[in-house]
Order: sequence, then structure tokens, then C-alpha cells
Amino acid sequence: MDDMKRRIRCDCLEKEAAPCVSACPFHFDIREFIPRVERGAFNLAYRFYTNAVAFPRIVAALCDERCREKCPRGESGGAVELKRLEQAAVAYATRTAPNSYNMPAKDGRIAVIGGGVSGLACALRLANKKYDVTLYEKESRIGGHLWDILSPDIFMKDIEEQFSREKYRLLTDCEVTELEEIKKEYDAVYVATGKGGERFGLGCEGAEDVAAAGEGIFIGGSLLGAAAVEAIAHGLRASALIEGYIKTGNMKSAEPHTPTKIKLNLNGVEARESVPPQPDGAYTKEEAMAEAARCLKCRCDSCIRACDMMAYFQKFPKLIEEEVHITINPGTLDGNGTVATRLISTCNQCGLCGKVCPEEIDVGKFMRDSHRAMREKNAMPWAFHEFWLRDMEFARSDRAAFFYAPPSEPTRYLFFPGCQMGGSNPEYVLRSYRLLRERLPGTAIRLDCCGAPALWSGDVKIYEKICEETAELWRKLGEPEFIFGCPTCREMMREALPQIKGRMAGDIFRELGVKLSGGGEIALFDPCAARNFPETLQNVRDMLTESGYSVRELEYGKELAKCCSWGGQMSIANPPYAKWLVDKRISEKPLPYLVYCTNCRDIFAEAGKPVRHLFDLVFDIGGWEDRPPTYSKRRRNRELVKESLMKELLNEDMPREKLAALTMSEETEAKLHREKILEDDLAAVIAFCEKTGRKLLDPESGHYTGYCETGNMTCWVEYSPEGEGYRVHNAYSHRMKIELEEVWHGRKQKADV
Amino acid sequence: MEENKKLMCNRCGVELEMHKAYFSYLDHSFNTEVQRCPSCGQVFIPESLAKGKMTQVEVSIEDK
Repeated sequence: MDDMKRRIRCDCLEKEAAPCVSACPFHFDIREFIPRVERGAFNLAYRFYTNAVAFPRIVAALCDERCREKCPRGESGGAVELKRLEQAAVAYATRTAPNSYNMPAKDGRIAVIGGGVSGLACALRLANKKYDVTLYEKESRIGGHLWDILSPDIFMKDIEEQFSREKYRLLTDCEVTELEEIKKEYDAVYVATGKGGERFGLGCEGAEDVAAAGEGIFIGGSLLGAAAVEAIAHGLRASALIEGYIKTGNMKSAEPHTPTKIKLNLNGVEARESVPPQPDGAYTKEEAMAEAARCLKCRCDSCIRACDMMAYFQKFPKLIEEEVHITINPGTLDGNGTVATRLISTCNQCGLCGKVCPEEIDVGKFMRDSHRAMREKNAMPWAFHEFWLRDMEFARSDRAAFFYAPPSEPTRYLFFPGCQMGGSNPEYVLRSYRLLRERLPGTAIRLDCCGAPALWSGDVKIYEKICEETAELWRKLGEPEFIFGCPTCREMMREALPQIKGRMAGDIFRELGVKLSGGGEIALFDPCAARNFPETLQNVRDMLTESGYSVRELEYGKELAKCCSWGGQMSIANPPYAKWLVDKRISEKPLPYLVYCTNCRDIFAEAGKPVRHLFDLVFDIGGWEDRPPTYSKRRRNRELVKESLMKELLNEDMPREKLAALTMSEETEAKLHREKILEDDLAAVIAFCEKTGRKLLDPESGHYTGYCETGNMTCWVEYSPEGEGYRVHNAYSHRMKIELEEVWHGRKQKADV
Repeated sequence: MEENKKLMCNRCGVELEMHKAYFSYLDHSFNTEVQRCPSCGQVFIPESLAKGKMTQVEVSIEDK
């Protein structure tokens, strides 16, 4: 099993009991009880409580509150007054009569020896389940030592009410002296003869919980030293063990209690004093509801609090792991039930979950591995990632990739701006390189992609090949220090090529004493990929402050920076979530954002947020309201970077690709960008239609419509000739492939296809 | 483009008619009637179909 998968299964603490639940002898699910009280549903609260403790009035009166000292609220206003809340549930419930279920009697005769609370609890549960129960009590009255510690008005009422719908045989004044006789008559026996009671030579002296004391015989309650409330819990556990024995023949003692391993993140918990009760010690309904609202409903939830994907889908790592597991290993031959395909492609893979998890479980890494498994099985829809893989291919093609090392000096630095920086704004790359060359002689430049799209989409072979090529270039150049433009490239290389040392261009600019233009109040949005680089986090802050900016921090910044939504390139797989996420990010502070990753800039600018990149301030370019280029323009920008560098450094012209000139309205351009249809694709479709004549004519408008496949996508264009090129009137695409055209065209027989 | 517009096949010079066409996506295949050239089979998928029903089917196959 993969490491992270195993860690989610074994180490994730989400299912660990709350400290109060773990301390409670009944392991009463307080997290479920509290919300009922909180909303004033006292009948439901009472029912839930009764199901857990059997005798609600007795337990509410006698509970010794082991939960109190474990309650983390104790540190901030006092432990939750759970006992009073339980008493309120008992006091304010209006329907307390037990339910009566019409179930057939079960085989199994059980003797309970001792009519104290433990024996009564065991008898009640078995009677609830319609076993044939006989209760032996040596005295003339039931209740055992409760008579010494509680008013019979409370406990007799409770006992009578709880047994009111059940049949069982009660034999008072009937002391059992010989267990052997009883054993012959019954299938199982529970010995609960109370403190100092008869043990029938069963041993089990050291036992603290219900113990199996011989074939069909169980022992528990105050006889083992338990106090009243715990004795009831023993009785309930004994009933479950007896039922297990009757059904399976297995004799088992109660499982030893494992204390909870829960680890709580109590950041942000504000102190709230506990609600004072009335003079008689009880709560009114309203007071009970207010006190219940103080409960922290403890669970280990650091990940779901920090990770927006987990919060959006309301899935903890364990559930994610289960869903992903059945998606990768579907239980049916036709692969139905692959519920998490889209979820796997929705994760930003940013690793924040691993940063906040007390067990350092990185679900993002698990999702990345799962992505890889899905790709290897060819089970991940190509559409989720094809656009970006083609984008990466373009960035690495002759049209955009470039390398230059100054011939006169040895290469000391390699500027690696990343594929998106030049796409976003060619000036970022061109001006940075000019500055670096001037101030740091021996700086080479490489325009390329770090391979992140391939890693994110699970195409590990492509990714590894890119990494090898990068490492090879680095070695050839004499192992220069990298100067990164994009934090993602740097983070990718930190993981895959740790031998390559590097810094962000911003770090270098700071070292060179570069001042920033402008000033004012901004919110600093750290990219998630900078989380592991404290010096970069600090340098940006210092540069801004020194240049007169007043920097406001976001709730999740620095080491806990959140992904802007770019990570994992998940917006195609899950557009509604991507939109929700971006809206959330830009709403975190009403101030303009300063970012130092071009992807963050473009994502936020596209959503209408006033935002600038650090380089905008370094070179005094761009404005807070600038919108990002379209996807087609990004390609042109990359070509422009290469073209400019070739001219500037080599005095060479870049050969132009001969594509038909396309014109279109701004609306069409915006639509193409929204739907991620590239002008290059349109040109390819039109070229295909014109070459083959496979197009349709609208005689009224004179427009042609045709299609061809671009990658796996089928792209349609409505166009008409205009001047030397074409005017595009509309374009759209679909993922489905049109089949059997060859048959219609007579090129193939159906059987050939 | 209006969906009920009469379109002519550029190569055959005839009007399109409703005929069955075959589609596939992620190892699933299906067919439906769309406008095609009765002579050479050239297909026309209007935008309303591509962005409507086809997208719905694509999404449901991806989530299957």
C-alpha cells in the first residue's frame, strides 16, 4: 500500500473519540447529544441519552462527570456542564415513555443474578431485544445499593418506566447459592451480585470491566468494584457480550478501553464562561441551550478547517481515501461506482492539509499518487488535463522554448522564469533578464516548463523526462544556481531535483537593493508554492515595507498559504468548485492583493480583483485593474518573449509560422477564452476545412461551418473569408468524438471501423 | 448560428437531412439523429446540441 494511503487509513485521527466521550463509562456520543440540546430538541436529546445509558434519571443524578476534567473548554471558560445538560434533557422531555417494538421472541434464556443497577441494566437491554430473561434478587426489593444513595422516587420511577413495555421474570427473595443449577437451566448467566456479593468461586479478582468467567458466565458491576453509574455501563456491555455469545458461541470479556488519541487544534477558540444555573442547580431550557452552545464538539479537524476542497465537499481524508480506493479499484467489471474520478482531479495538490495535520498526512500527495494510478489505468478522462498538457507542449516547443548563455563568461546563474510568466506579461521576463544580466554577469536564461502540468495530471513519465532534461542542462552548464520566476517551478524542483539550488528572482532583486514603485495599503497573498521558503516570505515583506507599503496579512499566509486555485489545474474538471474557490480567495480581504506568482495574479485579475505582481512594482508596469491576457494571447506572448530575446541577444529573427489571419469580435474572443478554445485551433480547423472542402454553407449568410479534431477535442468554427484571412463568427467544441464518418464517406466499410 | 437554418454541404451541393450519426466518448458509444449530408455524410452539430445534451452526457460519463 502506498505510504500516504496507509497513513490515512492508520494514522488519521478524525474518527478518534472526543475527550469527553473517551472518558465516559458509556462512551456516550456527546457530540451528537449536544446539538439536540442546543436547538431545544429535549425529547430527541432524552431519547438519545436513554439509548446510551438505559436509566436516564439514575445516571443523570449519580454521574461522577469523568468528562469534566477532560473537556478542553475547561481552559477557556470552564468545562461544559454536561451533567446539568443531561438533567435538563430528563427534566424537559415531554415524551419519556419507552418505545415498544413488536419483535418476535428470540431464542436464548438468560439468568441475571442480582437486582441492582448492573443486573437491571443487563436485563433491560436483553428484554428490549426479546430474549427470555429471569432476574434473581435475594432481597424483597430490586435496586440494590441505590436505596442507600438515591431517592426511590427517582430510581424506582426510572426502573419502572424503562421496563414498562418489556416482559421479564423477576424472582425476589430468591437467593442463588449454587451456580451449577442455574447454568443447567439457562444459556447464559450474568453475575452482578453487587459490592461484596457472592462470586460463586468464579475468580476474576483483578477484572475492572465485564469479564467472561466460564462457559456462558459473565461477571461485572459493583461486584468488581464499579460505582453505580459504571455498574450500569457494565450491565449494558454484559448484555452485548451475552448476545454475542448466544449468537456465535464465542466467550469474550469486554475489550480494554483504549484512550482517545485525538489531537485538537484549539486556535481561535474564544473564552466563554459557563452559564450559571438557577439556585436549585438546574438549568432552564434557555440556559441549557446556551450552555450546550459552548461545547466545542471536539474532533480532529485541522485539515477540513484549512482545506477548502474538504470543506466544500464535506469529506474528511478517510472518506476521500475510501472513495478514491473504490474509484481506482472498481468492484464491477464495467467500472461503475467510480465516484471520485472528478474529486481526484479537483484537488489543488497544494499540501496545506499535510502542513496543518498533527500527523502530517498530506492528502494532496495521496491525490497525486491516485491521479497517477488512474492515468496508468487510462481511467482518468483526458478532457480534465488535455488543455494544459497541450499548453505545456507548446511552451516546450520551438515556438516558445529558448536557451541562451552569455558566451564571454562562465554560467553562474540560470534564470528560469517558467512557462506562465512570459505568457502573462512578456515584460516580466524581458526586463528581469536585462536586470539580471546587467547586475549578475554570467546569468543564462532558459524558457521552458518545469513539468508541473504533467505531474499534476499523473503523467509521471513525461514529468520525469522533463526533470531529466532540466538536470542535464544544469549539469552541462556547470551546476549554476537557478533564479526562478515562478514559485511553482521552484517547489517542483525542490521535490524532484533537490540537488539544484536556487532562489526566487524577487530574493535576488532584494539583494540587489531594487526599490519598488508606488505605495499604500495592500494585502499580501503568498503563493502556496512559497510555503517552504521562509526567506522568500520574509524578503517580499521586507521589500514592500521598505518601499513604503503597509502590508496586511491574510488569515492563511506564509507557511500556511492557500492555493489561489491554479494548483492541480483543476478548473476544467470542476468549474463550479473552481469559481467558488476563487471567489472565496478574493473575498478574504477587501484590499488590493499583492502577489508574487503570475498564476495567482492572473486568476485573481480574471475574477476582477485589484491585484499586481511584485514585478509590476519592480519595473513600474501594469495597473491594479489590468485584466490578464486570453489563452490565445498568452501563446503570442510566449512567442514574443522568444522573438525579443532572439533579436536582443542573438540578433536573429524568429521564423514566423504561416497561419491564416483571423479576425473576430471582442465578444467572440472573450467566449473563446472562457471555453478554452485557442485561435491556433481555429486556424487548424479552417485550414482543414479549406483543404478538404469538408464544410457546410449557409446560403443566407454565406458563412461556412466545419470542424476537425484538435487533440481529442472536436472543434467547430463558423467563418467566412475576409481579405487575406478569415472572419470567425462563432466557435464551440465538444469532447465526444464523431464516429463512422469514414463509412458515410465511402472510404471504409462499417466492418473495417 | 440559428439551429433551424438550412445548410448545404459544400462538396455535394445538397441540403442536410436528419440522419443517424455515431458518437463515442471514454469507451462509451451512442447514436442520435443529427443533420447530415445525405450524399457524403458530413455532419453538423449545432452549438445548442454541443453545449446542451452532449455536455450533459459527457459529464455523466466522466462521473460514471
